[in-house]
Amino acid sequence: MSYSVNISVEAPIENQIQEITYDGQEIYQAPLTLSESLAKYAQKIDFSKIKTKKEPGDTSDDSKSDSDSKDSFQSNLWPWDSVRNKLRSALQEVCVLADVLAIAKDKRYMVLDPVQQEPVDTKPIVQMYARKKALAGAANVLLTGAERLKNSQNEAVQNRSNFHFELLRLRQNWRLKKVSNSIIGDLSYRTAGSKYSQPGIFEVTKAEDEEKPSSPPHSPLPGATPSVKSYSALRVTVPSELQGVAYISVLCQKDQEDLFSTNVNLLSSGPSTTNPDVHWQQKLEAAQNVLFCKELFNQLAKEAVQLQAPIPHMVVGNQIMATVLPGIQLIIGLCHSTSGDKKVPAATPAKTEHDHVLEHSLHQLLREVHHRNTHHPFPHPASGPLGPSKKRSLAGPNATDRYDLLEMTKSETLLEQIIKQAQHFFMRIRIGYVLDTIAKEVKDPLICSHWNSLNSPTQSCVKINIITHGYDVVYRTPLVIHIGEKTLKCICRDGKVMHMSYEPQELRDLIFCHINQHQILAVQSLAKIMGWQYLANSLHLGIGSVELLGNASSCILASPNGDRLIAVRCVPSQTGVQVSVAHSPRSDFFPSRLVTERKWEHLGGQFRDVRLDKMEGRNFLHKMELLMASLTSRNFLHKMELLMASLTSNS
Amino acid sequence: MSTPRTLPQSKEALLKSYRTRLKDDVKSMVENFEETVKLAKGEHDTQLSRMTQCEQDTYEMHVRAANMVRAGESLMKLVSDIKQYLILNDFPSVNEAIAQNSKLFRTKQTECDQKLMSLRDDISADLHDLEEEYYNSINK
Repeated sequence: MSYSVNISVEAPIENQIQEITYDGQEIYQAPLTLSESLAKYAQKIDFSKIKTKKEPGDTSDDSKSDSDSKDSFQSNLWPWDSVRNKLRSALQEVCVLADVLAIAKDKRYMVLDPVQQEPVDTKPIVQMYARKKALAGAANVLLTGAERLKNSQNEAVQNRSNFHFELLRLRQNWRLKKVSNSIIGDLSYRTAGSKYSQPGIFEVTKAEDEEKPSSPPHSPLPGATPSVKSYSALRVTVPSELQGVAYISVLCQKDQEDLFSTNVNLLSSGPSTTNPDVHWQQKLEAAQNVLFCKELFNQLAKEAVQLQAPIPHMVVGNQIMATVLPGIQLIIGLCHSTSGDKKVPAATPAKTEHDHVLEHSLHQLLREVHHRNTHHPFPHPASGPLGPSKKRSLAGPNATDRYDLLEMTKSETLLEQIIKQAQHFFMRIRIGYVLDTIAKEVKDPLICSHWNSLNSPTQSCVKINIITHGYDVVYRTPLVIHIGEKTLKCICRDGKVMHMSYEPQELRDLIFCHINQHQILAVQSLAKIMGWQYLANSLHLGIGSVELLGNASSCILASPNGDRLIAVRCVPSQTGVQVSVAHSPRSDFFPSRLVTERKWEHLGGQFRDVRLDKMEGRNFLHKMELLMASLTSRNFLHKMELLMASLTSNS
Repeated sequence: MSTPRTLPQSKEALLKSYRTRLKDDVKSMVENFEETVKLAKGEHDTQLSRMTQCEQDTYEMHVRAANMVRAGESLMKLVSDIKQYLILNDFPSVNEAIAQNSKLFRTKQTECDQKLMSLRDDISADLHDLEEEYYNSINK
């Protein structure tokens, strides 16, 4: 036991070397003091674990609360129960922390000591690797972003039909403006002078549907789509009341029977516009047309209500009815089909291919109104939209009187103008019909009518020549008829001007009178050429039976040596011409008890009727010529015979 | 274009906003790039542990990269906005287009008018002959 050696067991100096100096001396880190090591070890204890281990009641409490919360969750008693519990425990801990801090601040019962942390040795290579990975991730994000940008850029370059090109094209043709985030366009005619209140607003959007989202992954796809279909990157949204096709139908009815109808549609060639794939230009044009038709109809309906016509105009639904001439109605309707099938409003089949003049002139009239609204004659105030008309401006210098000024204020409405045009249209048809039937009925003098090619919508002119075939140099009767809206003006050969109403019978009568006159006058001028002379001439014979129409006219012609007489009597009705012949003196003379001497024969004799229809000759004048010639020649031959006889007797 | 025109207040503000958007986006790109490069250097001492720091750096880099992409897309949007603005407000070019269109249509109109006139002349001459022939014939 005495050999007992005291072995001191102590820890080797395993203090960490802090630094090795150049002379080889190692400087150790100072070993931890007891309190430091205590702190170190204490730091390693996980108090929360201990707590959970040591306090099973607490965990049970926790589980209980859990189960509580579950129960509550299941029973739906109070769904916030678990939250409340968590909050409560958090509050508890915070309170404890606050207490600890308060105690530690005093530095009497508790001291907070820093615990030296053991350096965690992370290898720099790991750090490097992590950083590399992070950079790679960032680069990936950047690359995908760049790819996307590049794609969209490429698309813009490849596709000429991208949004901005389309927008530029749209902008060049339509009015656009930006309102906050959307682009609003205006298709109304307001800038062109329209005063219609309905806004023609459409919205321009970027087309983003089935084609668009698929384009980024397949970049060649959008390049191919425009060739396949007229795909455009731009979409136009038109308000629902302007969608579809609209047109104004002008229909003329004669006592419920269609005379003719006009069914015009400015975009008649356009396919069904309800198709959303229709190009925006067509869509907008259709919408604008709808707007225009609506304005036109609105204007016409307003006027129809306001106008006080002898026979009031009717406005029923989408139709305006106006009386043009007695028994003839003009029906103007607005047809607007929003659905694709436009066959529905086309209620007038078969006759739709008639001329579209009236409808066109309706459009023209409204455009004229627009034009007048914007174009004021100079000088006018630069700021004001109003200005006196040119006539009004000249009224001052010209010292116009009240009547003229009042006349100036009157202006015709569209409806009045279109009714006038319709009236004129009917007048023209009627006159043409009358002239053609007369030309068909009357074969002897030919009636040629030439329609003037220069005419206005309410005035036209037709020139009529009454001639006899083969004798058109001898005599012709020209007539000019000016056709107005409800009246006719006929300028006769002698310069007389006749005014007639819209009844075709009046013109018919006039023409027959002129035919009659033509025959008499033509015979007279033929007589002049033949060397005959006319003794008497009366265009309005007061004697004889009363004619149905006008008066008969007549003339008496005498042969060159005066021994033959021809009397012609013309009747305007179709009975025709009566021709009578008289000889004086007669070639043969037989003295009777009453007429004892030959000289009394010079007083003239009995007229004998000539049966013209039995005579040779193409027409009346030809027959007359033959008649005159035969009378002259017989006369002449007779004279020659006499001359020869006297000569032979003398010899 | 050469003469500076006085723009209305709102337009001026809009243009200014375009300018600021451009500057902001470019600045954001540059800043984010710089920051990313700085992060890549990794020379900063923090109280955090290395691993946490790494995670944070990764996250930050991602966010900054995304920011750069966003700035790029914002620039694209700006370009598109400016294009739109130019298209909608470039009145000289619109006027030019309108003038060109109206000129085109006027020439077309005169052309049509001339054609119609000559057609009318031809037709009326022919009509005259035909009328003459028709009314002189027996068959009516």
